[in-house]
Amino acid sequence: MNIIGITINHKTAPIELREALHLSQNEITQIIPLLKDKLFSEGFVLSTCNRTEIFGFPKSHGVNFKNVQDLLKDFKPIEGINSNNFLNYFSCGAVKHIFKVASGIDSLVIGDSQILAQVKEAFQISEDMNFTSSLMRRISDSTIKVGRRAISETLIGEGAVTVSFAAIKVIEKVFASFEKRSALVIGAGETGELAAIHLKDLGIGKLTITNRTFSKAENLAEKLNADAIKFENFKDHLQHFDIIISATSSGEPIIYYDDIKAMMKKRKGALACLMDIAIPRDFDTKVKNIDGAFYYDIDSLKVIVDENMKLREKEIPNVEKIIMEEMVNLFGWYNTLEVVPTIKDFRDFFEHIRSDEMEKIKHKVSDDEFEKIDNMTRRMIGRILHNPTINLRKISETGTNFEEVAANTLILKELFGLTNNGKEQRENNDKN
Amino acid sequence: MIDSIHIHNVVIPFLYLITFVVYVYDFVKDKPMLNNAKRVFLFITLILHTFYLLSRTIEFDHPPITNKFEIFTVLAFALSFSYFILELLTDVRGTGLFIIAFSIVLQIASSLFIEDLVEVKTILRSNLLGIHVISAMLGYSGITISAVYGILFLMLYKRMKSNEFGLIFKRLPNLESLEKLSFIAAIIGYVLLTISILIGGMWLPNAFPDFSYFDPKLISTFIVWVVYTIGIITKLTGNLYGKRIIVFNLSGFALAIVSLILTTFITNTFHSFY
Repeated sequence: MNIIGITINHKTAPIELREALHLSQNEITQIIPLLKDKLFSEGFVLSTCNRTEIFGFPKSHGVNFKNVQDLLKDFKPIEGINSNNFLNYFSCGAVKHIFKVASGIDSLVIGDSQILAQVKEAFQISEDMNFTSSLMRRISDSTIKVGRRAISETLIGEGAVTVSFAAIKVIEKVFASFEKRSALVIGAGETGELAAIHLKDLGIGKLTITNRTFSKAENLAEKLNADAIKFENFKDHLQHFDIIISATSSGEPIIYYDDIKAMMKKRKGALACLMDIAIPRDFDTKVKNIDGAFYYDIDSLKVIVDENMKLREKEIPNVEKIIMEEMVNLFGWYNTLEVVPTIKDFRDFFEHIRSDEMEKIKHKVSDDEFEKIDNMTRRMIGRILHNPTINLRKISETGTNFEEVAANTLILKELFGLTNNGKEQRENNDKN
Repeated sequence: MIDSIHIHNVVIPFLYLITFVVYVYDFVKDKPMLNNAKRVFLFITLILHTFYLLSRTIEFDHPPITNKFEIFTVLAFALSFSYFILELLTDVRGTGLFIIAFSIVLQIASSLFIEDLVEVKTILRSNLLGIHVISAMLGYSGITISAVYGILFLMLYKRMKSNEFGLIFKRLPNLESLEKLSFIAAIIGYVLLTISILIGGMWLPNAFPDFSYFDPKLISTFIVWVVYTIGIITKLTGNLYGKRIIVFNLSGFALAIVSLILTTFITNTFHSFY
């Protein structure tokens, strides 16, 4: 399989380069015609914030990795980029790399849940732009299968691996659902806004925003269909909130031990989650000692993230096993593409000789005898060809040894003169 | 039938053990495949246990409540059965091992020492006594399960407070669900205990000439009942939540167990049949 490809990712280039080289969907639709025109008969382009990948089947023997790199660099000229920022792949290695990407084990965050959808989208764009045929379609199907199997059969995507997701996991371990809960987000800056959006997406029952500049709180509240309360008196309402997320840029704590103590007393033991995602912290850390209050800051949430990352790393061998299985399947199928026509030519070759010889004796024997000889020669040819056919098919279907398949096919073609289309060859033999 | 009873007597502890192992394995490994399979194991165990209890009742002509080891097998059944119903109702599946463990201990003790008593005291053949004892057993199962969920709540609570996010954090249901499960089990236990107390109150004065309302067992049972009544009312009226109600519940359970042990083994009571 002569697929070739290049990648630039978090292992090969700093974030500035990756960001600069990132191709939007619009840019992908612009670069694909160039690739089609100059380099590949079929292929795909994947570009995310962490990687840009271009893979395809060369239109001619002259196409190499450098051509692909140059085309990308010409399309998106970036200062400071060089060939060391690219990794190049060919054939088996290329397919394996694509599978690794789709399964998430090549991602910056191992088991990244977004990547499979991004890979699917990349293949879909190629399909829409007629940049795929049967071979690339089969690679696309196998890639998506690998991604799905990795998720369903291993724990590669399990557990929270970002601080915000870890915070959600902790809250989910306290409350059965978000629908009946009320949350307060303190701080309407970028982090606070993200937290508020996240809570809204999770279906929080009641969301309230507070901020030193009240208008900012009001704006965010309006955007998210939430309530806003004044910063000066938000502490009077603390007992009404099951979840409090604080993300202000205050230089010193804004919520003290006594505030939470009073809040918990009014809640009569009802549990509360306090998420301090501000740096420096917004809560007095002593609040973690108060009964019923679950206080977490960024460091404590990172404990969850680190544990889950270790667990995901342990799952990599299981994902690699799936990748290997699917590579065997893919190359098994691919090998038969070469073998099946050869087998057909091989059988046609013998059949042609048989029918030719039968034609020669047709008028020398009776009809009964002719039929008997015809049947006997058919059986004979069938038995002679049985083992070579089965063995060649078997070698091809194992998938891993495609070099052996190619060698065997070539020997067969050369020995029996099947090289330049069996039919043509037979005609030459006939003339001789 | 007697041979079947003897075979079941040997097989049932193993069935509980196998079910327990499946629940433990699923708790540790969290395999989706085992999620339903473990429920099937428990269901089969309970079906065979039901058959065993019915067989004993028919063969020996009395409900299996005439001695400690018969009571143990009824308790083992009642605990797992109550858990099974709770699992079906709430679909919280990760806590079975903590309940089935009790059933294993009780069933092993029962299977080892149970005898084929054919002759029993006349008083133990009473139908009212049967209902009284069985409702009491189910009631105690309810409050035991409630206490187990209470302990699980405290385990998870403690780990979350100390930033330990291991197996307990990953596999146990959330604190709100554990509190709810504990409360539902307590309510079921409380209702059944109330039925048992009411039936006992009606039947005991007629059945025992030396009956006294000041019997230590009656007083201690009444105190336990009052404690649970206060706890349930407090929770229902919204005056106590979270860890506080769990601690209250566990105190009630501890009181129930201590009073049961004291009145059974230490004090003199008419309320002792074995």
